[in-house]
Amino acid sequence: QSSSDSTDSSETKVLKVAFNQPESHPQFKAMVDFGEKIKERTDGAYEVEVSPNELLGAQRETIELVQSGTIAMSIVGGSLMENFNEDFVVFNLPYVFDSKEHQQSVINNEEIVHDLYHSVEEDGMIVLGAFHGGVRNVYNGEKPVEKPDDMAGMKIRVMESDTNVQMMEKMGGVGTPMGQGEVYTAIQSGVLDGGENNELVYNDLKHVEVAPYYSNTQHLMLPDYLIINSELFNGMSEEHQQIFREELANAIELEYELFAEDVDKAKQEAEEAGAQFNDVDMEAFQQAVEPLIEEKLTSDQAKEIYEKLRDME
Amino acid sequence: MDIAVVVGLILAIGIFVFLIIGVPVSVSVGISSMIAMMYILSFDDALLSSSQRMFAGMNSFSLLAIPFFILAGVIMNNGGIATRLINCAKILSGRMPGSLAHTNTIANMLFGSISGSAVAAAAAVGTTMSPMQKKEGYHSDFSAAVNISSAPTGMLIPPSNIMIVYSLASGGTSIAALFLGGYLPGLLWGLSCMFIAWIISKKRNYKSQLSISWKDKFYIILDAVPCLLLIVIVIGGIIGGIFTATEGSAIAVIYSLILSFIYKTIKIRDLPGILIEATKTTSIVVFLIGVSTIMAWVMSFTNIPGLISDVLMSISDSPIVILLIMNLILLLVGAFMDPTPAVLIFTPIFLPIAMELGIDPIHFGVMLVLNVSVGTITPPVGPVLFIGVRVAKLKIENVIKPIMPFFIAIIGVLLLVTFVPAISLWLPDVFGLLTGE
Amino acid sequence: MEFAKKQLDNALSTICIGLFGFLVILVTWQVITRFVLNNPSVFSEELAKYCFVWIVLIGSAIVFGEKGHMAVEMVKEQFPKKIRIITEVIIEMINAVFALFVLLIGGIAAVEIAWNQANATLQIPVGYLYAVMPISGLCIMFYCVYNIYQLISNRALTNT
Ligand code: NA
Ligand code: NA
Repeated sequence: QSSSDSTDSSETKVLKVAFNQPESHPQFKAMVDFGEKIKERTDGAYEVEVSPNELLGAQRETIELVQSGTIAMSIVGGSLMENFNEDFVVFNLPYVFDSKEHQQSVINNEEIVHDLYHSVEEDGMIVLGAFHGGVRNVYNGEKPVEKPDDMAGMKIRVMESDTNVQMMEKMGGVGTPMGQGEVYTAIQSGVLDGGENNELVYNDLKHVEVAPYYSNTQHLMLPDYLIINSELFNGMSEEHQQIFREELANAIELEYELFAEDVDKAKQEAEEAGAQFNDVDMEAFQQAVEPLIEEKLTSDQAKEIYEKLRDME
Repeated sequence: MDIAVVVGLILAIGIFVFLIIGVPVSVSVGISSMIAMMYILSFDDALLSSSQRMFAGMNSFSLLAIPFFILAGVIMNNGGIATRLINCAKILSGRMPGSLAHTNTIANMLFGSISGSAVAAAAAVGTTMSPMQKKEGYHSDFSAAVNISSAPTGMLIPPSNIMIVYSLASGGTSIAALFLGGYLPGLLWGLSCMFIAWIISKKRNYKSQLSISWKDKFYIILDAVPCLLLIVIVIGGIIGGIFTATEGSAIAVIYSLILSFIYKTIKIRDLPGILIEATKTTSIVVFLIGVSTIMAWVMSFTNIPGLISDVLMSISDSPIVILLIMNLILLLVGAFMDPTPAVLIFTPIFLPIAMELGIDPIHFGVMLVLNVSVGTITPPVGPVLFIGVRVAKLKIENVIKPIMPFFIAIIGVLLLVTFVPAISLWLPDVFGLLTGE
Repeated sequence: MEFAKKQLDNALSTICIGLFGFLVILVTWQVITRFVLNNPSVFSEELAKYCFVWIVLIGSAIVFGEKGHMAVEMVKEQFPKKIRIITEVIIEMINAVFALFVLLIGGIAAVEIAWNQANATLQIPVGYLYAVMPISGLCIMFYCVYNIYQLISNRALTNT
């Protein structure tokens, strides 16, 4: 099919996408693929340019750039969206998802997320879709963790938020917020006993060298959101909007696949470097963090989303 | 014309013209970046983005180390710590030819290891050392040359504010690794100055008339222990991962404050004055960081670093040639520009190229800092040169010739550091900081 | 004019001294909570960063008042006195334009856009924290006007 009048290449609109990770990241590759499809299917009306490595700024700042329309899109972590609508917290809590597949069936399910993702429209943006951001597991240098008691007294680095500190406390350890750059030496010197992150980060930052026990606690599966300037998106023809949604859905599917491949590779490399992976008593951890989930789900909308997604298991 | 070329020209010409007529560096960079923004965005968006980028550039926890190290430096300058370090350096330089010149160099290195400022070292150490050297028959242009050429070692030897600035500009290179990486180059710089001073002193027969008894040596060292302990606690803690650079800098403030209270060199009522002095120095540096962030953003938005990289790579694909060109440009820039803006402007341009050549960001950072440190002693804009000449009560013309042999030795060190990565990377590697990101 | 400048100097200096002193205590407290009390504080790091930006922007305004920002002076020093005064006036005007556009107008726009954006740990809208930009912009513009007034009325050159 060909569009009627937008074939002139001089009318190409370049959409900048801010991204905080390097070109090798699955989300980057998926977005590049997305861009190629968009250019093709809109006959060159839109071109997508992804800037990796925080070139356009850190995530929080790129949200403001999207709001003001300076750039078109950005991929941002779930916790940042809580600053605009607290209900976003629902996907950022521990053990809301049972598996990667469960997450995939929820976070782009129009019936569940439509209202949430459009709730930030008055702030000048729309969440167009959600990517998989990895599964976070606990690792340490002492012993395999199988149940909450195993982490008693262990200082585990968590992301810099109070929710994460509380979560780690419920899981049995001592949550210690710290910038990622200092974690390796902190574990090495004994300031920390371990950390929690996905397999890619664990392997890339060589944390395996100081904390070889990687336990599949699967406590967090934080989505990363693709946000777009609302004026820009609402100003598109319906046909183009449809193309954007379809191609993004494809890109997200691709990203889940690429991420899984990278995780396999990372696990293999980490194992060669001495990592020991072990499964845990998930139910014990799920029960331990349940009070936190109840405490954090305050609004009706968040509770409703939570019910819906639990029904989907 | 390509958008990157236009924006590049606006920035280059704008900054140059504003600087030349005497507009502050920060405003020259800021207003040129704002104009460049207006070329790529609408008027309103340009102003909004400029101010957002500026705020974002300053809003960083690692930058907090800068006001604290500056504050610790101001406290120590008022706290009689320089004298103790000079006494300590006397013992180390012993009775070899030109021992007072070596004392000066060692004192500058010791001072540098507790303060991040080369200007402060040149002023504090030079003021005490220059009359002493005159009394023992050293030519004053020679002793000024020694003081000036060895003062910048403090920018390489940690703690170093300029390394923190680089860490930020390079997107978060480990400060601990950079601090460690600076030790050997800083030491080499100091040793090369001592070597030149030794040759000249031997030729001119500068002898040492100083002799210190073992008992005095013991007391001098005992007296300096608290100062030296600061280095161990703060730098050791940062490198060992016990605390962050920012936390270490706060410990340095508290420690030097307690020490000054014990030495009774600072009273409570001096504190507001000290705080305001540190505020001003901090503001000048960090305001500059803020506006440079606007510029860095405009450049990456229009992909200027990629363009420059293409041009450089088309000249030669030999890493040796490209590194030599970078050094030459940086030395030239350093002649005209202060270290902070130079690092902020050239990191986003040169680092991607260096990384493409397979150079480690820590190695590149040390090389960059070394280049801009040399700039502090070269005219026309050479703050260490100016202060060194002023405390020696000389004119710039008097010291240019005596400095030349030292300058050549320092360039030798620069080439060594550029082409022998191990000098900057060995220590970080030993402490496991190369893999830790 | 002279009186207003003194008052502003004093007010801004007091703010900076207070904030800086608070900052030292805050970060020291953070170190203590992490090591001694074994109870990490997320809150203090965020607060410290914003304190710091306030200090820098207010402090920068003071430095503009003293013409203390780094600049290349050697070219304008060669100029004859009259041209030099004109140059100095132009420099102050350029400083004022920067403060007006980026800090005041851009700053107000940034405050507006971030007004509803909550800060996760501090529970203060980010907009409040951006407010220091227009404040600093106004102060810098005042100092520029003051410096121009000084240059024209005294025809004297202050050495910085
Ligand atoms: Na230093
Ligand atoms: Na220079």
